[in-house]
Amino acid sequence: MMAVVAAGTNRIDPYVIPALDGVAYGLLVFVAASGLVFCFGVANILNLAHGTLYAIGGYTAAALLDGGWASLALALAVGVLAAGAAGVLLAGLLTPVATGNHLTQALLTFGVALAGGSLLVAGFGPDDPQVRVPAALEGSVVVAGHRYAAYRLVFIVVAAAIAAALYLVVRRTRAGMLVRAAVDDAEMVACLGVSPARIRAGVLAAAGALAGAAGVLGAPIIGPGTDTADTVLLLSLVVVVLGGLGSMAGTLLAALAIGEIQTLGVALLPSAAPFLLFAAMAAVLAVRARGLASRWGAT
Amino acid sequence: MPHTTPWHSRALGATLLAVVLTVGTACGDDGPGPSASGSIKVGLLASLSGTYQSVGTEIRDGFQLYLDTHDGKLGGRRVDLVVADEGNGAQTAVPAATKLLKQDRVAALTGIVGGGSVAGVTPLLEETKVPLVGSNGRPELKDVSRVWHTSYLSDEPGEAIAQHVRDTVQGSVYAIGPDYQGGWDELRGFTDTFVKIGGKLANSDGKTTFTPFPATTNFTPYFARIKASGAAAVYTFYAGSAAVDFVKQYAQSEIKDVPLYAAGFLTEGGVLNAQGDAARDIFSVLNYSPDLDNAENRAFVAAWKAKHDGSPTTYALASYDAAAVLDRAIGAAGSDPTPEAINTAIGQLGQIASPRGTWQFSTTTHSPVQKWYLRQVRQDGRALSNTVVGDLATVGR
Amino acid sequence: MRDEVIRRARGAVAALVLAGLVVAPWVVDDYTTAILARTLALALVGVSVALLTGVAGMPTLGQTAPYAAGAYACVVVGSRISDVGVVQLAVAAGAGAVLAALTVPLVVHARGVIVLMITLAIGELVVTILGRWRSVTGGTDGLAGMPAVRPFWGLPPLASDQARYLYTLVVVATLVGAALLLLRTRAGLLLRAGRDDETRLRASGHRVPLHVSGAHIAAGAIAGGAGSLLVVAQQYISPADFGFDTSALLLLGVVIGGTASIGGALVGAALVIAVRDWLFGVLPGHAPLVLGALFVATVYLLPSGVNRARVRLRASSAAPSHPQAPPARDAATVPELRA
Repeated sequence: MMAVVAAGTNRIDPYVIPALDGVAYGLLVFVAASGLVFCFGVANILNLAHGTLYAIGGYTAAALLDGGWASLALALAVGVLAAGAAGVLLAGLLTPVATGNHLTQALLTFGVALAGGSLLVAGFGPDDPQVRVPAALEGSVVVAGHRYAAYRLVFIVVAAAIAAALYLVVRRTRAGMLVRAAVDDAEMVACLGVSPARIRAGVLAAAGALAGAAGVLGAPIIGPGTDTADTVLLLSLVVVVLGGLGSMAGTLLAALAIGEIQTLGVALLPSAAPFLLFAAMAAVLAVRARGLASRWGAT
Repeated sequence: MPHTTPWHSRALGATLLAVVLTVGTACGDDGPGPSASGSIKVGLLASLSGTYQSVGTEIRDGFQLYLDTHDGKLGGRRVDLVVADEGNGAQTAVPAATKLLKQDRVAALTGIVGGGSVAGVTPLLEETKVPLVGSNGRPELKDVSRVWHTSYLSDEPGEAIAQHVRDTVQGSVYAIGPDYQGGWDELRGFTDTFVKIGGKLANSDGKTTFTPFPATTNFTPYFARIKASGAAAVYTFYAGSAAVDFVKQYAQSEIKDVPLYAAGFLTEGGVLNAQGDAARDIFSVLNYSPDLDNAENRAFVAAWKAKHDGSPTTYALASYDAAAVLDRAIGAAGSDPTPEAINTAIGQLGQIASPRGTWQFSTTTHSPVQKWYLRQVRQDGRALSNTVVGDLATVGR
Repeated sequence: MRDEVIRRARGAVAALVLAGLVVAPWVVDDYTTAILARTLALALVGVSVALLTGVAGMPTLGQTAPYAAGAYACVVVGSRISDVGVVQLAVAAGAGAVLAALTVPLVVHARGVIVLMITLAIGELVVTILGRWRSVTGGTDGLAGMPAVRPFWGLPPLASDQARYLYTLVVVATLVGAALLLLRTRAGLLLRAGRDDETRLRASGHRVPLHVSGAHIAAGAIAGGAGSLLVVAQQYISPADFGFDTSALLLLGVVIGGTASIGGALVGAALVIAVRDWLFGVLPGHAPLVLGALFVATVYLLPSGVNRARVRLRASSAAPSHPQAPPARDAATVPELRA
């Protein structure tokens, strides 16, 4: 009896930490990607510079964090403002193509991402900067008999709070109502007298602020560096598309799934690690597209 | 038929790009090799943008430092250094190298961060008969007649440290590294030698664990496996951002007290600053450390610190040595240092005095026969640095 | 009347460009010739991207997959079986077509951004496989040292930049010509009709998925053929040649050139690749910055095109909030694809 229990714990035991870490990773990806959902769902903009907005937050964190709590608050404020401002700037740049097609937007935002990325590296140097979290969070804590980074544990709580706050804003406020209306019927919102340019600026500012916050808070997890923008953009695009292009709840689910695939999946099937993310995405998208097509064929 | 964009405005966009191109291709095309004025053209190809930019700038700065401390001359000739950007790999390195070799007609090529880039450039070297004195990446090559490296072969660091790990660690060792050629070679060098001298790997199937590269930013799931394996120590190789992620996460993981041994790139240069305290006590093997005690190194480190923040890295050193190699080879190539003559002269250099200690080219691999050092990350004044704590094997074939 | 003038002007420009390309190797230096050959190979992949993006209405980031399949198949054949160019070309095109056929089930029902992401995944998976299948591909460091190609039985091997360039030019011209002819046939017309109004075409009894699959396989064959040209032009291949940057730049080049026009796509893709390669040579360290700025500038130089959105704000029709709505390929995600 005892032996069976021990064997059972042993089999699950090595996967406790990866499963927990998958939640932290998934929530980070969710906060990073949530802005992109707005870009897509509300403003109908394919923003390939989204990862760069995250990188702005990350570099801000690296520059300002000094191991104290005050610096974390300062970095968060500055990072949110800077990335939000960059979002507004991007909205201005997007004016001529905003009502156009995704491919032209991709051309513009890809250009902005390339140029912005090299400006960031020129400003902050090619080396990955050091990110110093508050001293109290620097160590590790014991979870279910395992050591786990204290910062990540706290991050899970903070990111979950951000996700809940986002839900409340979208559900309960006038801005959120407009957002939901715009996802459903953009022409309707335009008729209400809200100028599309203002919606666009607001959406990109919000997207920038969220990405900036993710960049600051996520810097100890996906740190700033030359490849950060690409990594974050790719993960964000994956979860936004998997989540159904405009649904917050869908994006959250997709982000948690990607988080677990990238940690628990890797722990369970290490030899398949390089294929897991993209194989899962291609399979899900293809099956879903087939489902849509067949439902359409039946009607 | 109406078109998506009126073709005239599309043509305008195309023209913009085309004008940019023609302006560029119109300028510059000089003769090959040394010019009449006694100067010589050397091409330096390194990653000056993208993922490997920090290594690329070290390589450029190391070469430039040698020129600056030698009146801008190599072998008594004024050097016209043509720099091109390797980018992230072969796809951008090959066209840039084509420019250096076929338009600028350099007499010798140096630098190159990525092994894949070197592999991509070798057909061009064969075609143009120009020698490459590479200062970093070195792939497996069938023909090395025009390829020389001042760095190392990727399996040598692991080979050099295996005996020390075998002697020091009581128990099995877990081997983990990035899933690409550099990672395979670095880890194979260690595991092959380690197993041959009776060491035991902790990996479940006796095979090294490889993590997707560069996609892996989160090593936690791998640390859980290492914990479960009961390893007494870990051997690894990562460089750049992956090295920062690995070391920082290792220090917060449940295996933080398991000794970590690594190829020196894990804690070399800029990554050590980003890792901070998390890197403390890591053991690594490398062919260089800035605290080596010899006259060449003291002069090199002093000259470097006069121009740059921080200490020089092995990347800068290898590029500095590449300049030293070219200096002597061009000088020995006579009054007409053609690329062929320079290549022949490199093969006859013999011992080369260097900040890393004296080394020489292997006659079969054209890479250094050199001594490797055991280093540990320790406090040095206000900063952490890689301090030499012992000599390891001299390796080279 | 005006259309007639434009058509003739375009014909004249095309003829001029072709003439320029033919005499180029005798006018420019070896570097430019070598770069042109490599660029032509990539531009041919751009043509296959345009075939899918503009003509079939499926924006793709995955044409690097058949491109890679063709290139590696060509190397295997070249180093073990035959050094004859047309044989390698046929094998490469076949390999590209087979890979494209294998991925048809994944993409045939998807539209717009979903296709972009599925094809992106396919491209990344293929690159991962290439990096790990070392016995055939040489791993991430790539393969070099292929024997020189002879274009046809009895001809001498291609030994100079000029020869390699002219061979590439002839093959590219032939394949582009074939693609243009194909588009004039009934199949090409149906393909475009499906892109413009899928519902009506389905209603009239046409099997749109069949046309899309055919286009996907044909585009795969063209990309595969381009792979064999890359091997000739570069004499080296590695997984890095087929990565995400390549597919992104090709798609953007095709957007600049005008997605629905084969000639435009050829020029657009060639220009983007050539500018990138040139910038890495002359502005070390600043190439991404300048390239990014050029992309932004290009968008502003195409104002009428990007402003004339025929389908304003109809994106919501494809959003999942209306799953019952027909996944109209033209409406939301790629509205400019309506010709």
